[in-house]
This record gives sequence, structure tokens and C-alpha cells, in this order.
Amino acid sequence: MSARGFEICDRVLALTGKLGAAAVVLVSERDSGHVRFGSGEITTAGEVSATTVRLTLAFGRRHAKSETNQTDRASLEALVARAAGLAKLAPDDPEWVTPLGPSQTPNNPQAWDDVARGSSPSLRAAAARTAIARAEEKSLVASGYIESHADTSTLATSTGLRAEGRNTIASMTMTARTRDGTGSGWAGSEVTRAADLDADALARIAVDKAERSRGATKLDPGRYTVVLEPAAVAVLLDYFIEALDCRAADQGRSFFSKRGGGNRIGETIFDPRVTLRSDPFDPLTPGRTWDDDGIPLRATPWIESGVLRNLSTTRFWAKHTNREPTGAHSTFRLSFAGATETPLEGIRRGLLVTRFWYVRWLDRKELRVTGLTRDGVWLIEDGRVTRAVQNFRFNESPARMLTNVVTMSARSSRIPSGEVMRIPTITTNDFEMSSVSDAV
Amino acid sequence: MSLSRRELLAVAAVAACTPPRSPTAPAVRIEDVLGRALDAAKRAGATYADARVVRRRDQSVATREDHVIEVSDDETYGIGVRVLVVSNAMQAWGFAASATVDEASAARAAERAVAIAKAGLGPRVRPIILAPVATYRDHWATPLEVDPFSVSIADKAAMLIDIWSDVQRVKGAKYMDGSCRATAEQKTFASTEGSLIEQRIVRVEARYGVTATDDATGDSVTRAHELAPRQAGWEYVTRSSLKADARKIAEDAAAKLGAPQITPGRRDLVLAPSNLWLVIHESIGHSTELDRALGYEANFAGTSFATPDKIGKLEYAGDAITFYADRTTTGGLATCGYDDDGEKTQKWNLVERGKLASFQTTRDQAAWIGEKRSRACSYAENWSAIPFQRMPNVSLAPSEKDTSLDDIIAATDDGILVSGDGSWSIDHQRYNFQFSGQMFHEIKGGKIAGPLRDVAYQSNTIEFWHSCDMLGGANSWTLHGSLVDGKGEPAQSNAVSHGCPPARFRNVNVASTRRKT
Repeated sequence: MSARGFEICDRVLALTGKLGAAAVVLVSERDSGHVRFGSGEITTAGEVSATTVRLTLAFGRRHAKSETNQTDRASLEALVARAAGLAKLAPDDPEWVTPLGPSQTPNNPQAWDDVARGSSPSLRAAAARTAIARAEEKSLVASGYIESHADTSTLATSTGLRAEGRNTIASMTMTARTRDGTGSGWAGSEVTRAADLDADALARIAVDKAERSRGATKLDPGRYTVVLEPAAVAVLLDYFIEALDCRAADQGRSFFSKRGGGNRIGETIFDPRVTLRSDPFDPLTPGRTWDDDGIPLRATPWIESGVLRNLSTTRFWAKHTNREPTGAHSTFRLSFAGATETPLEGIRRGLLVTRFWYVRWLDRKELRVTGLTRDGVWLIEDGRVTRAVQNFRFNESPARMLTNVVTMSARSSRIPSGEVMRIPTITTNDFEMSSVSDAV
Repeated sequence: MSLSRRELLAVAAVAACTPPRSPTAPAVRIEDVLGRALDAAKRAGATYADARVVRRRDQSVATREDHVIEVSDDETYGIGVRVLVVSNAMQAWGFAASATVDEASAARAAERAVAIAKAGLGPRVRPIILAPVATYRDHWATPLEVDPFSVSIADKAAMLIDIWSDVQRVKGAKYMDGSCRATAEQKTFASTEGSLIEQRIVRVEARYGVTATDDATGDSVTRAHELAPRQAGWEYVTRSSLKADARKIAEDAAAKLGAPQITPGRRDLVLAPSNLWLVIHESIGHSTELDRALGYEANFAGTSFATPDKIGKLEYAGDAITFYADRTTTGGLATCGYDDDGEKTQKWNLVERGKLASFQTTRDQAAWIGEKRSRACSYAENWSAIPFQRMPNVSLAPSEKDTSLDDIIAATDDGILVSGDGSWSIDHQRYNFQFSGQMFHEIKGGKIAGPLRDVAYQSNTIEFWHSCDMLGGANSWTLHGSLVDGKGEPAQSNAVSHGCPPARFRNVNVASTRRKT
């Protein structure tokens, strides 16, 4: 329970009360600490505690938003004055929807860990030293980042909604490189409990990959069967999730638009074994249970057995199209009916990919992106990894990845991504590697 | 040279300007707060410390067709303290920040930063040797005529909505997203070496994109205006051609929707400055960051094919090509008087007559490549962020000949003109890149022949710059850039500009952004 958060919300609402305006106050408090290491040594370390107060104020359909990180009375008065001044000047917004009223938005205790909140500079530095040491044992050079943060969010509206949420996240990523620059390996993980981070195990994975990636040979670009590890899948899924926008689909601007009008909800677009869901109460993807509008985030299937079940819908668009709003979800879990323990099995010739880098849109309508492989690519022949190969640029669609999927691994990982994503390894066919990169 | 708190306060008394206080600013003297932070850091065991009080304001308005969808005005304020602790042969940096700007909070942040540094103490692969810096007591501010924060949000919204009135008259132009943004960074820097520097950096951006759709085919494309963000006042936006171009941008969107798709293959490219700047940013700007070149960004932003041992040897391009870094460029988004190490900003060549000449450095990096002075590339995005090496404005020098874009087109028998920025991606060592654009026009027999669509070009940095055989002159050189460039962990954003003339590149691999069927 964030007494401080609600106390700030109430002070702001008291200041807005006389204005005759609708108000939404979101208070975000974050305590964070990190250590960064690079080129085999600790480079920077720091801690920051920050509070952000966001006020959205509306006079009828004229609205504005303002934020401050100061919580003294004068600053909150200035915040209200700034938002009110802007809102009065803003033209009418026909899409404005009045704030939500009281509702049941239970907190999720699974998303919080007091120990993670107490992660100390010396614990983080010790983890960094462990990672550096694992690399040095093999004459490799370690770079990486360890972070922990504890977030408390509190929301209150002039119409009576009150919600709170707390979550802790600790994460570590590491890249090990050979001293001659001919090999590079990566590993990363994100957890709710800082104690669950295993720096030694992660470092060993990065080191092993770096060693095995030496001496990569060049393969021709072309379409390959690929085994994408969770970090590679996560970045493609980010673009897929961005495309799950109902308004864009309804307006004919999206991969999910139906020719002739409307969207493709209800169509079997993907492999019938694929399911993608959001559920902040899922123990594997614990997260905040409401979005910044205060919409309760219920378990939501986006893809269910290959069928597109939902598209992300704002309150305005839901009202406009007579639907229920989905809320803006930040937890995602990808799964597969009949998942395997051995994703390489049965692959005659393919590629094993550690992760992708610099992924950017190519064509939103086709849901097509470009990017590059990084930190370990290997050739698979007859179900076995046979040799390291050079990196590739790809031009491909995350939607096709889920259409052409062969299998997914039973084991899944939580990948540091800015969202809570639980992702398996995916084997998928016909993945377009468009050119070769000289980067290691 | 190290100053005591008393000397620092004396410096403050004669400092040329006092930052204007927001109504929300507490009644404290910034100089006192900074002095207390530095004193506390030294007492706790810091060998060196610097502190920044930063107030950052970010105002934006967004429109969709004929109405406003979002108006925001955000402000953050706080102090960040960075310390260097040296103990025997061990060194470490530490950092802590406080949103409360008063003496007691500043002292606590300083003490915490020292404790964090002590937790990370260890022998260094590369010792931290701070390059000498003069003691500066100065202020610097963006030259501007109209403070963008003095312009009514209603006027900004009206400007964007007015553009829609022209756009909607064009057949096929169905949607428009518009936005204006203004940011102000006001920072006061002080270090234990005696500097006290106040700066106010103001940046503005205004943009819109028009989407054309074809209901029959379900197809759609977007064409964005090419006005670059700039460090300037609001006069930059009001004097721009945003409104005058509205109909043309909408017609471009409609024309692009109906244009033939590119046939992949090798083509000559003529790249307008509004497209080429992004190639410079990715292939030259990032490859010459020293921290990246030495492996300190290996876990995130990557490394570089350019390494210090290749200075004077590595041939980036032919000898007509020179790239220079310049944090003094008028209007440049990374321009300022002093960096966040307290070093004065400057201009120098990164690639000189085709060869790698230098790198971007901060005070703790200069010695790593045998330089005696920092290139003043330290930057922290806010009070809560740690300063580290960020990209200055990096630009391509124009040809000494007075060559125009029209001259380059006239000299091209068979090619493609690309303008505006679209998709962009480059590998983590800055070799393999792929860029798209906003508009693509076929060039046939020295003349523009018609629009194309879905064009991307893919190349390798060294191969690409060696293929450049025509450059525009000084009159064709323009400045573009981005308010957002990410690097570091935790990730920070930097604003940076790149100036260039139009240029021609021979025999470049051109692909379609759509899938081959």
C-alpha cells in the first residue's frame, strides 16, 4: 500500500477540486540501482530515487497533461495551474473520454519482492565481478549490465477510481567477447526476485557462446529454417504487439485490416498451435493489474490456437466501435500446444540464432521488419549444431514467424525488454536472411 | 586546480548569469547546493566530483486530422552527483541523484555516490586519468528570437490543424498525424576543479505525416514532412515551409501509393541531405565513438570496425570526403557551450580526406588515445543520469565546387533520388546497413522520371562511402537530425544534428521493403 502515493494523489485532487474539471492523477515512484561493466571492468554504478506526478485535467472535451517530479505544495500547485492553463487553451478533442469511476482493481502481490527492493551496490558489484571473472578464466572480455528497481504506481481520479500497484524487477545481461574480436556471446535474464538472478550461470552461458562462435564462416543469404532463442523472439514480438492496434486495423492501415473494411478478429491467421496471452496475474508474467487510464487488465488472449482473438482497443475506440476496451497490457506469454524439449530435432539444415539487433519497421502494412543477428549464429545440420556462421541481416515478418512455426520449446525465459515477456525458443521455416554482415 | 567551497561561492558571486527560476523552484541558491555536494563528496573520500542541477521541460501537442489528441507540459528538476574515488591502485566512479534540490539532499547524494564508488573499487584495465581542463565561469544559451514556451499551445495546435485543411483537399489523402515539441534543458554544472557553468539549451520540432489509402486494394502509405528538429526558437517553425508544403506532401502520399514498386538490383543513388544525414549518423557518427571502439558498449550499442590503431590508416572513403564533429554548429541539436565534464565545445575532423583521423572523447577517455585534451563529448540527459560519451553534431563537408542537387541529377543517366528518412538499421559494428526514405524518384537521362515506392538500399559502410562520386557544394548543405538517439545502460537519449550536401553513390544494392512474392 503506497500511503505516500495516495497522499500525493489526494493533495493534487484537492487542488483540482475547485476548478470544475475532470482529473486523473498518476504517481509513479521508482527506486533503482545499477552497475555497468565493460571491457572487463566496472565502469559506472549509481542509484536514483524518483517520483513522477502526472496530472491529466479536462474541462469538457478540452484536456491537457502535465508532469512534475517535485511534490512540495508549490510544485503541485504549479502542476495544476500548468495543466489547467493548457487544457483551457486546447481545442475540443472529440475523442476525449471521461475518467473511469470506482472499480475493483486488485493489486498483484506476486509482482513484488522486498529483497529485490533492497538490492545493494555491493551485491550488484559482486555480481559484476563474478561475471568478469568467468570471462577472464577463458581469456574473454566481459561487458554487461545489472539493474534492479522497485516501482510503486498509484492512480486516483476525480470520479472516484483508486488503484495501486507495486512491482520489482531485477535483470542482468552480459556479452563476452574474445580478445581477438572473432567471437561474441550473450546471455540475459529478468526476474521479480533479485535473489533469483544467477550471475554465475548467466556468465557461463555468455562465455560458452563466445567460445563456440569463434571462426564463423560465411553462408549465403537466403531463406532458412531458423531456431530463434527467446531474446531473438522477444524483439520480433515487440513489433507484433505494436501492430495489434484495433483502430489502425479498422482504418485499413494494418496487417490486421480486412480487405474491403474491418479487421481480421476471428480469422485463423497463425499456426493453430500458437497462443499469445496477456495476464498480469499469471505467476510467470507478474505485472501491474491496471493501465494508465485505470482500466483493469484482465487475462486477454490475442492469439488463441492460431486465431486472432483481440486487438488492443482504447476507451475511445471501444466506444466508437461498440466494443470493450482491452487496456494497454504490458505482460505477454507466448506458448505452443505440443511444445518440445528438443527444438533442433528434425532440422535438416537451419540456423540457431542467439538474438537480434537494430530491428526497425520496413512495412507496417505487411508487418515486416529488418534487423541483424548478433552474438552467436550457428549452422544446424541434421538436428545438430555443426559450426559457427557469420551474422545476417534479415527482412522478415513477425507474423510469418508465427504462421510458419514448426515448434516451440517447452522451456521459456523472461527476457529483459521493458515489458514482462515470457518467451520460448521458436523453430520457424522460410525466414529471409537478406544479406551477410561482417560484424562479430 | 581544486577550489574550496568558499572559493566556489566566490566564483558564483561573479558568475555572469543566474538561471531564471521557475515558480516551482525552491528558494535555495543553486551555487550553495552544488558547493555542498562537492564538499560532501570530498569529505567522504572523492578524489574528484562534479554535480549538475538540471531543470528539464518538455512540451508537446499532437493532432490527428482536425483535432488535438494530446497536450502535455512536463518538467523534472533535481541534482546528480558524480564522484571518482581512488584508493591505492584502485579506482571507481559512483553516482547518485536527488529530486530534492537543497543542501542536505545534495550532501546525502554525494555521500551515497561515494559509497557506491567504494563498492565498485578495483584495479582498472584502463586507468582513469582526467584530461586537464581550464576553470570556466560562464553561461551559454541557445540563441533564439521567440521562446517556444511563450507561444500558446492553442496557436501550436491551430498551426497543425490548419495544415489538415490543405491536406484533406487532395484525393486519396485520408489521415494526418501532426505534432510540435519544445524542450529546454537548463543546467548548472560545478566541479571540484572550480568550474561553474550555466547553460540553457532549447530545441524545437514540428512535423506531420499524411497517410493515403486505397480501399479497393486495402493498401496504405505514409509520407512525412522533412523539416528537421533544430536548436532554435519558435521562429524556426513559423518561418519553415510546413504549411506551404501541405498540399505537396499530400500529393506525394497519393503518388507514392500508386507508384510502381522498385525492382531490386544495383542502382546509382542520389541522396538528398534529408536522407543522407541518417547514414552519416549511423555509419560515421557511431563508429567514431571511442567508448564503443574500445568495447565499453559491447553489451548494448555494440563495438566499431574503427579502432584507435587505425587512425591515419583506415580508408573510410575517397579523398574528397571529410567528416567533422562540431558542437558549435549554429542550430545543431548537440551544440552547447560546454559539455557535462565542464570542457569547452569544439570542432575537429573525424575522417579527413577519406582517412580515419580521430575519435569522440570525454575527459576520462582522451588519454586512452594519447590526446591531451577532451573533445568535450560528455552528456547526461537529465539530473538523474550519469554523464558519458555522446555523439556531437557530425557532418559531411561540402564540395569546394558550387554543385547543386539539380546538377547531380542532371549528371545521372539512370538512378534513384531518395529524400526524407524512413526505415534504418545497422549492425553492431557499423558495417552492414539498410536505409529507406520518404520519397523515391526514378532518374532517367538526367531528369526526374516519376515516383517509385518501397525502396531500401543496403550496403557496407566502407564500400558505400567509397562509391560516392559527386558531392554538392556549400549552397546545397543543410542540417538535419533527431531529438532521440539512444545509447548506454541505463539507456539515455541524446539530440544530435548532421549536416551534409546531396551526394551520389554508384552501384548500390537496392531492395524492396515488401516481400518478394
